[in-house]
Amino acid sequence: MSVLTETAAGTAVHEKDPRPSWAAVVALARFEARDLLRYLPVAATLLLYVGWTAWTLFHSKDGMDAYPALQDVDRDTQTGPLLLGIALFVCVNRCTLRSRRRGTDRQFDVLVMEPWRRTVAHVLSLVPFAAVTALVVLGEFTRQALRPGAVGHGSPAELAVGPLYVLLCGALGVLLARLVPTVFAAPVAVIGLVVLSVFVSAGTGGAEWSRWLSPVVDEVSGTTVLPSDLLGRPAAWHTLYLTGLILLVALGAVLASGGRGRYVQIGAAGALVLTLVGAVAQSRGVSPELAAARERASVTPQRDQSCVRRAGSTYCAFPEWTGRADDWARVVDRVRSLAGGTAARQPLLVRQRVEARYGLDGDSAIPALTTPGQVTVGTRWGGNRVPEFAVGVASVLVTGAESKGGELCDGRVVTVMWLVLGGSAQPLTDLADVRLDDSVTGSASVLAPTDGLSMSAAQTDVVRELLDRPRDEVTAAVRRNWTGLTAPGVTTARVAQLLGVKAPEGAKDCAGE
Amino acid sequence: MVEVGRRRSGVSRGLVVAVGRTVPWRVVGVGAVVGLLVVWLPRLLGGTPDAWLGLNLLRAAALVFALGLAFLLDDPARRLTTPVPTRRWARTGLRVALVTPVAAVWWTAALLLVPAQSRPPVGPVTLEAGATAALALAAACVVVRFTEEPEPGASVAAGLLTFALLAPALIPSRWDLFVPVGDPAWAAAHVRWAAVLTAAVVTAVLCAPEPVRSLRSLRAAS
Amino acid sequence: MTTTVTASGLGLRYGGTRALDDVSLRLTPGVTGLLGPNGAGKTTLLRVLATAVPADRGSFTVLGHDPGTSRGRHQVRRSLGYLPQTPGLHPDFSAFEFVDYVAILKELTDRTARHREVRRVLEEVDLGDVRGRRIKKLSGGMRQRVALAAALVGDPGFLVLDEPTVGLDPEQRMRFRELIAGAGEGRTVLLSTHQTEDVAMLCHRVLVMARGRILFAGTPAELTARAAGRVWSSTERAPGAKAGWRTGTGSFRNVGDPPADAELLEPTLEDGYLLTLDDVSAEAAA
Repeated sequence: MSVLTETAAGTAVHEKDPRPSWAAVVALARFEARDLLRYLPVAATLLLYVGWTAWTLFHSKDGMDAYPALQDVDRDTQTGPLLLGIALFVCVNRCTLRSRRRGTDRQFDVLVMEPWRRTVAHVLSLVPFAAVTALVVLGEFTRQALRPGAVGHGSPAELAVGPLYVLLCGALGVLLARLVPTVFAAPVAVIGLVVLSVFVSAGTGGAEWSRWLSPVVDEVSGTTVLPSDLLGRPAAWHTLYLTGLILLVALGAVLASGGRGRYVQIGAAGALVLTLVGAVAQSRGVSPELAAARERASVTPQRDQSCVRRAGSTYCAFPEWTGRADDWARVVDRVRSLAGGTAARQPLLVRQRVEARYGLDGDSAIPALTTPGQVTVGTRWGGNRVPEFAVGVASVLVTGAESKGGELCDGRVVTVMWLVLGGSAQPLTDLADVRLDDSVTGSASVLAPTDGLSMSAAQTDVVRELLDRPRDEVTAAVRRNWTGLTAPGVTTARVAQLLGVKAPEGAKDCAGE
Repeated sequence: MVEVGRRRSGVSRGLVVAVGRTVPWRVVGVGAVVGLLVVWLPRLLGGTPDAWLGLNLLRAAALVFALGLAFLLDDPARRLTTPVPTRRWARTGLRVALVTPVAAVWWTAALLLVPAQSRPPVGPVTLEAGATAALALAAACVVVRFTEEPEPGASVAAGLLTFALLAPALIPSRWDLFVPVGDPAWAAAHVRWAAVLTAAVVTAVLCAPEPVRSLRSLRAAS
Repeated sequence: MTTTVTASGLGLRYGGTRALDDVSLRLTPGVTGLLGPNGAGKTTLLRVLATAVPADRGSFTVLGHDPGTSRGRHQVRRSLGYLPQTPGLHPDFSAFEFVDYVAILKELTDRTARHREVRRVLEEVDLGDVRGRRIKKLSGGMRQRVALAAALVGDPGFLVLDEPTVGLDPEQRMRFRELIAGAGEGRTVLLSTHQTEDVAMLCHRVLVMARGRILFAGTPAELTARAAGRVWSSTERAPGAKAGWRTGTGSFRNVGDPPADAELLEPTLEDGYLLTLDDVSAEAAA
């Protein structure tokens, strides 16, 4: 460490201190970092990265953005600096080749700072860019974590991938410059690497080991939100692999530019070991313990969950989601307040469920619960997920059990949809949101946390008619006729008649429209 | 003054050979070879690309070749060759003319390397490749026209690559250029590609001649 | 003597700096030297006269042609040889190939005559023996001579040389002087240099430039005469001297305004040059 404490940046190596001056290397690195900013690709992609990230953080379109799961937010920070990394790869390469291209090698080769230390400076010139990336990543994560609806835990290892990727890209650019000293190599190498990575993943069928060789590993589906202990991403090992790879590439560049010191060789060997350990460890796939935990969470979630009671109902959630019970309770209370008969006082058990057996890539539906009075809620919340949950609650209130809701196609659909929409501030928006094709007329499938139901055109007409009328009047009518409205097999025409709406002509329920 | 040789304007055989030697063939060649490798890779690995992959491989190959073309106007001796009687547009045009047949043969080879069932419609994809190459040349022409840089290739290639990577993300969807085969917007996208090609060629032609007056004196005169 | 190159009111700005400020000049056959400190605008003037960059204002003619039009510039370039300060060369070409390449660009289309001409200029710059060697294998002085040969090929009537003797050893410089002096016979040569002895030995006329302006135009003798009576010897460093240094004999040689009883010395071209620059900076300061 003693060499690092030498601070005479401007002075060259002195006779009394024959050790190389690292302060000079740092000074050169600062110069090179400033020079990098002058390259249009770097400046443009850096601006775009920072600007775009800021824009998306403060202009979220989807209601679900207000309820982020931090174990996914950390991963989402990784794709942002993708282009910045490529720009740095190309431009660091050009910087490294600058003196060769301009023919100043002959002058510079006799300078006090040997080529290998200039290589070190080029690698170090990337540190400010990695630091900016780290700041953006942290800002992104902090902003999401501060949202009132945020749940879960982020992983520092996942957050580290963005800055490490930037470093790796730059180090690769330096190495390429030292191995193939022509500026043309870098742009071609970018295309080559992209094409090659497509083929390696295609050629190995997306195997775990080849998937994790890529610096940024995205998940295919991206719609499944799992509890953080079920993610099964070897994030820490991947960080180790990336760190080892960066060191290996950087020390490789130093070796290629004539740095033959013992420490460099030992360091390169150490980096190789780190990389290999990381690469092997990250490709082990799903461990039996994790598979068992995923199985348990999918099949018997009650073993992992804790429950709270709100207004007579019970809300059971995975530990990371217990804070969301109040949001769920608001929806349950709103829907139940419109119901009549025993349903208006029926205690419900809201159970959070997730299909974790297929990992993050899986996108399979959750089967409905058969036990009466139980409702499923998913791991995502906000946006369309809210009225969808309301559909689940309403069908349990009307039919008694979630599994019966899926078969629902008779006149009871009208009652279910009234319960969902009657208490809503924007009923038409909610109606469009829960319908698969976002329509508000005609027939459509309606989504729910488990099995959805289908609305015929006639049922849609009746529901629209109800929404146009004063709410109190409809609510009173629903309460009055609750038994008739919820009788199995009741026709849409009969429901319309009970609620005082003009019966649609030629309406046939369950006709498989 | 002694009269040496016969002097006549225009393009002579000697000029073709001499300019042909100054074309950075090595860079163009590397671009061509890497481009072919890109297209050949699925066969090398024993697979057959689907239509999507076939199209995008050809796009990637065209981009690699265009990156090579970005170096076409590099002239290390530019300071010495600027004040010669042979006009700049003739020298530039000759370089382009020399490289065009090579590009045509190369592109045919690239198309043939994609199996027939996954090969996109030849006309439109050739239009895309032509527009990409024209963009590279136009950018090089602009840099040569407005700067005194003897070797603008590296900057042009880096700029083109950045542009190519940013374009799919930044171009609004109604002006999308990168459309998969069979998409309803395929025809409209290729009208836009034709517009890109035209604009690039016009830019290149406008920038090819050497300015007689400086920009400032033109501004002062108007 | 006939005037071959005339310029009037040439101006060129780079950003905020005036590289050329209302430059007017007349050149006649023979070698004209262009002296000036760094940043004086010498290279810019040479680049404008060599049609490498258009001027913002003003006009000039070379051998009766006006390079302000595309046609006129073409005519000028047919009789122009230009050696830039840092000539780029194609390193993979042989010396012969490179000069031949430039000859072709100078529209020497007859192959036999052209090759004869290329061999002639390569002999002239003493590169006949290495003409087949690749430029990247040549020494710095040899490369400089390849570039000079490229400028000389085609026997141009107007030769623009930007510091051709920089980086050459005394023997090479002597050889270069011979070459330039030979080129100046019957041609108009404009030679930019820092070496006042080059000018003293080669040039029949000299221009002095500073801050984008021509400060002096005349013969080397006239420039030397500017220092007549302003160079003196003293035993101590003279306080009133613009410049003064101890010579090998132990006495001081001073340039400036001498005291009344000073022992005057014979002035050189360099004294005249220094005093011309100094008078102008004194004017600017006043």
